[in-house]
Amino acid sequence: MRKIALLCSAFLLSLTTAFAAPVEITLAYPVAVDAPITTLLKGWSNDFMAKNPDIKVTLVFSGGYPDVKTAVQTAIQGGAKAPTLAVMLATDVYDLVNAKYVDNLDDLVAKAPGGPAFVKDFLPAYMGNSTYHGKLYSLPFQRSAVVLYYNADLLAANKIAVPKSWDELGKAAQALTVDAGKTRWGIEIPTETAYWTFQPLAIGGGKNVYTDDVTVNFNAPEVIDAVQFYNDLSKKYAATPAGVQVAWGTSTQNFAAGKTAMIVHTTGSLAGILKGAQFKVGVMAVPGKKPGTLASVTGGGNLYLTANHSPEERTAAFAFAQFLLDPSRVAAFSAATGYIPHRTAATATPEYKAWLEKVPQAADAVKALASAGPELATQNLGGVKTIFNKYLQAAFNGTQSPKDAMDAAQKEATKALADFK
Amino acid sequence: MRKPRLLPYLLVAPTLVFVVVFTLLPLGEALVGSLFKQRLNIPKFQDPVFYGLGNFADLFGDGDFLQVLANTGVYVLVLVPLSLLAALVLAFLVEDKLKGLGVFRLALFHPTVLPMVSAATVWMFFFTPDYGLWNQGLHLFGYAGPQNWAGNPGLALGALVVVAFWKNVGFFMLFFLAGLQGLDRSVVEAARLDGANGLRMTWSIVLPLIRRQTVFVTSIAFIGAFQTVDHVFVLTQGGPSGLSSLLLYHLWQVRFERLNVGQGDAVTVLLVAVLLAFTVTNFLWGESREK
Repeated sequence: MRKIALLCSAFLLSLTTAFAAPVEITLAYPVAVDAPITTLLKGWSNDFMAKNPDIKVTLVFSGGYPDVKTAVQTAIQGGAKAPTLAVMLATDVYDLVNAKYVDNLDDLVAKAPGGPAFVKDFLPAYMGNSTYHGKLYSLPFQRSAVVLYYNADLLAANKIAVPKSWDELGKAAQALTVDAGKTRWGIEIPTETAYWTFQPLAIGGGKNVYTDDVTVNFNAPEVIDAVQFYNDLSKKYAATPAGVQVAWGTSTQNFAAGKTAMIVHTTGSLAGILKGAQFKVGVMAVPGKKPGTLASVTGGGNLYLTANHSPEERTAAFAFAQFLLDPSRVAAFSAATGYIPHRTAATATPEYKAWLEKVPQAADAVKALASAGPELATQNLGGVKTIFNKYLQAAFNGTQSPKDAMDAAQKEATKALADFK
Repeated sequence: MRKPRLLPYLLVAPTLVFVVVFTLLPLGEALVGSLFKQRLNIPKFQDPVFYGLGNFADLFGDGDFLQVLANTGVYVLVLVPLSLLAALVLAFLVEDKLKGLGVFRLALFHPTVLPMVSAATVWMFFFTPDYGLWNQGLHLFGYAGPQNWAGNPGLALGALVVVAFWKNVGFFMLFFLAGLQGLDRSVVEAARLDGANGLRMTWSIVLPLIRRQTVFVTSIAFIGAFQTVDHVFVLTQGGPSGLSSLLLYHLWQVRFERLNVGQGDAVTVLLVAVLLAFTVTNFLWGESREK
């Protein structure tokens, strides 16, 4: 009798397991990148579901980083379930944690197979934005850096050496400008979202624009110097359009079409640029003020686990994150996009080696990381960024002197950060 | 005693439910929220604390917000009259039943069907300095001024007006066209027999007869001018230096970038107040003229 009862319970248990609803998780991804990312992610999520039939993954592709962040915010504020995983700006960590939009990952790392080793393998340069108060909140996903792309054939044809300082950069850009930019500009630096592409100049000048989450250095002499150099590129060297350059989308096309000799842009555009350019493309960190110095800045998005999910959903989401961030997938993702492989193990994969063989510039993009400072990441980031951009653009457009603009930016930003000190 | 009629209430009910759930309740919530200080990214202000009219005082004491109000005022006051005038002129031009006019109507109307994001993206390339179509076109008319439309402090707001104008005129034209085609021909003929023609006919006969369309189009043009924000995201992000930031873009920044719930609600209340004041005034003016 007992045997029959046991058999019945075992049968019932197997039935419940067989018919149990799969754990459903969602990944929200900002698709506004010039690469076939949707195909990659769809393929990988299908592979993951094939290996984990008890987990159902839904991918949600939406515009850019702000769209994903807004979707998470509105869902949580409205009491609905936010996408379980979301790729959002790495630098948003403080606001996201303060507002309780994202969840801590430490317990999941501890219990996941190979969890601690997995986290330890990420490049330290990209882990800076992942922790807050010593706790882990996100994993690097699509990380980039700002670099200088140059038309190597054009430089060689004009017997110009690859620039190694601000002065050399200005002079090279000046020499490569044709017909006051009507035929070709020497250099373009998109500055509609001014702070990010400006940061390599500030770092190259000797000081990053911020020190920690509540301290900014907007009016440091080195930063003011960098603003002056940006202005000099148009005023002194006549090698770039004057003022704010609304050129994020057009500068890569101008460069690939030979209408601009050099551009400052993200490594995320590498694949697109190489596809369009009919010449040898050089990639390097942006030359610094002192000869021989180089500077870059990190950027890009991290993978966050959003708040208010069940233990099963959290575990499933972390398993999917681990799957996506497997070294071979990280390398394949980089090869498809130009984003920098952020795991040490990824650089040992056949995918990465094949990519380097095919695209030697990728190694230069990775090399730029050695001279990269962290992207502006403070508390109240939206407010601080708006202030900094406002005054940077005022200085670029000449409506304020670099010093006056940066003094005003420092004053306003300090006020915006006062509540966090 | 007459039995109360249920049917009219039943017919109105679905709309009423929608208006209450999606308009009145959120508005009431915003009204209450605007009286509280709540900032989600600052731990000590995460729970709402009564702040009276503090959010409004903060807004009007903030130079950036005053700049946004000025930008929005200029944007609306330039865009709406220009769009209406152009739409009316175009409606007159394409009203005739001539062969092939359908093609022109289609050409004028087609920007309307594009999402604003696409329209702004197209224009981003038109505005490209030196070789962009817009600058090339202006060059033909002798324009030799600055070309960096989206990045220039004096031109960025104008760039937004140009995009919205291009996108909306065809849509507004359609309403005027419908009005013109529905005119009572006998009145027009009678006026013609009395010697009215050209400007006199337009001013004294046609325009009064299409007043209802004009009131409607003015309302949607005005409200639309306040509501459009996508082109700001694509083209200028409110820059340079906040000189093209419009009210709705500022609201998004306050609410979603700075996570300032109370101030976001205060901006919402102001926005609704302006739109309500205009719509009611416009309606009453239209009705009084009708009498």
